[in-house]
Amino acid sequence: MRCLGPDALRHRLVGDGLLLKTGPFVTRIRSRIPSVAAGLASVYRDYPVHEPGGFHDFDCELRAPRTLRRFYHPQVLFLSDRRSVFKPLAFHQAYPMLEWGMNWCITSLVQHRLVLHAAALEREGRALLLPAPPGSGKSTLCAALSHNGWRLLTDESVLLDVDAGTVSGPARPVSLKNASIEVIRDFCPEARLNPPVHDTLKGTVSHMSPPRGAVERAGAPASPAWVVFPRYCKGAQARFTERSPGACLVGLIDNTFNYAALGARAFHGLGALSDRVRAFDFVYGDLAEAMTVFDELAHGR
Amino acid sequence: MDGNPALCLALARPESMTERTGAEWSAMLAAARETSLLGALWQRAREAGCDQDLPEPVVLHLTGAAWVAERRAEALRWELEELSRGLLTRMAPPVLLKGAAYLLADLPNAHGRLANDIDLLFPESEVERAESLLFFEGWVGSHHDDYDQRYYREWMHELPPLAHRQRGTTLDLHHNILPRTFQVKPDADRLHERSVAVPGPWRFRMLAPAHMVLHAMVHLFSETDWERGLRDVYDIHVLTNHFAARDGNAFWEELVVEAEALKVTWLVQRALWLCHRHLGTDIPREATVRLAAASGARRISPAARWMFRHGSQARAASCTPLQDATARGLLFLRGHWLKMPPGLLVRHLFYKAFLAPKDDEENARHQA
Repeated sequence: MRCLGPDALRHRLVGDGLLLKTGPFVTRIRSRIPSVAAGLASVYRDYPVHEPGGFHDFDCELRAPRTLRRFYHPQVLFLSDRRSVFKPLAFHQAYPMLEWGMNWCITSLVQHRLVLHAAALEREGRALLLPAPPGSGKSTLCAALSHNGWRLLTDESVLLDVDAGTVSGPARPVSLKNASIEVIRDFCPEARLNPPVHDTLKGTVSHMSPPRGAVERAGAPASPAWVVFPRYCKGAQARFTERSPGACLVGLIDNTFNYAALGARAFHGLGALSDRVRAFDFVYGDLAEAMTVFDELAHGR
Repeated sequence: MDGNPALCLALARPESMTERTGAEWSAMLAAARETSLLGALWQRAREAGCDQDLPEPVVLHLTGAAWVAERRAEALRWELEELSRGLLTRMAPPVLLKGAAYLLADLPNAHGRLANDIDLLFPESEVERAESLLFFEGWVGSHHDDYDQRYYREWMHELPPLAHRQRGTTLDLHHNILPRTFQVKPDADRLHERSVAVPGPWRFRMLAPAHMVLHAMVHLFSETDWERGLRDVYDIHVLTNHFAARDGNAFWEELVVEAEALKVTWLVQRALWLCHRHLGTDIPREATVRLAAASGARRISPAARWMFRHGSQARAASCTPLQDATARGLLFLRGHWLKMPPGLLVRHLFYKAFLAPKDDEENARHQA
């Protein structure tokens, strides 16, 4: 994207679409909205872009609804394959809406991989999965780990290849919310965050670009070694509690978007994964301490 | 090439898939996704032996869709087993319609097809008894509004759809293939008389080949919502090819005679024309001529041809979105016009527009 320049980027977004490659997926993005172009240029600076006319997996468009309302209270729509999939949002939220829309494409349109609502990071070919519902401090932990020796696979959607038993991810930007924006700015001063957008459904949001190494290796698979269910608890001491394979499986099923759609294939895929990994519940209250214990985990201590 | 012709060409001549460019594939996948034809596309590629020559990301999307279709078929088979073991054994075996019949009869369009619900056909005098029996197995009505009850029970060809309390599967109980208030009323007894047993150990029946094809045609061409029109066109195309290859002229003979007997000749003319237009379906000249001479035949005007062709296109990848949307709007009006006589139609649309509770209100009421 860097070599494209702001004018060429805008030109593609307005014209036939920008073909943005994030790991295994190519997304075609079209929009005339300036904040979308600006957001893409800064957050996806190091990502590869394909030439027009190539294949794309997903088709995304952001535009204002064609109603009179656009003159006094402008809004923005997200369209996938020309179909609006969310209720419109206030116009200033166009960029985060694009990110949520791209997440939606993965969770709703991908059928050849099991899609887990989890973050994943890799160290020496071994993958750490962090499945968790929103609000558990998963993204904060993931953002911090990605700047402390771990390669980011994904912050949002882990792709499990059921046949190969490997996981991969699109290595898209990490979505940080509310207090965690300041926490990451302090903890990882080198991290690049785009300007926060206020008053969204999730509060204030900002997207952090993954470190360059993670972007360059985006989509490269890794073997799952650990599944950790994180929970942030203010003031708590970092603590691992081991989970049985069965309990791990149940936790994974709860966090898999297309579990029911893939039936027995999904059950056996997640079952094999649970048998192969070490699984833990993890409570933490301090990021620096969490970094140390994950280092120890990676080194088998 | 825009997504629609690319998809039609791929379904009709699967070898053509190896010639598509990246952008054409993207458009074609979007069109197939919208019309639930991804699984069918994979099936066609495998039959033609070109599945390994397709680009890798395409193979991934298509196999994923085939897995999901496989899983749905497995779930549907399981539901049918439950039904055929349960209280319905107290009644004469019902006739399976559409997806469930294609699946159990292992017809060529069943592979990769995404079946959504189960459709059963009972004689009109028995359909409410079936509803009562199914209630004891957890199948409950989903439309509780007085108006909806009256709409289905007095005017339609099916009861209000049932949903399973635990599993959420939907089940439609039909007593005919067209609404009671439709312009013509097919003779449902004829459908039952000629129905055949589903192969294997199943306690179900299915429509005779000609009736099965006629039902698929009548279903699409009486529809007000043509969102997945192309999928129905593909069903008709595959079934027609299959039975014509198996039974030869006898099938076409039967189709013409039965179309006349069920008073749907004019719908069949339109369906065959559209299948030929989109998928190049092979229709013997004699069949076309005989249909045109049969009672109830009507010439297809150029405007109608335009409307059917554009209305059945997938919207995701079309180069003519405005024409498609206009055609779909006209098909919506046409569907209603056929469905009810004018007086009743005005009443029904007035109720739906102004008096019917809106979805939001209904949700609020349920929460209260």
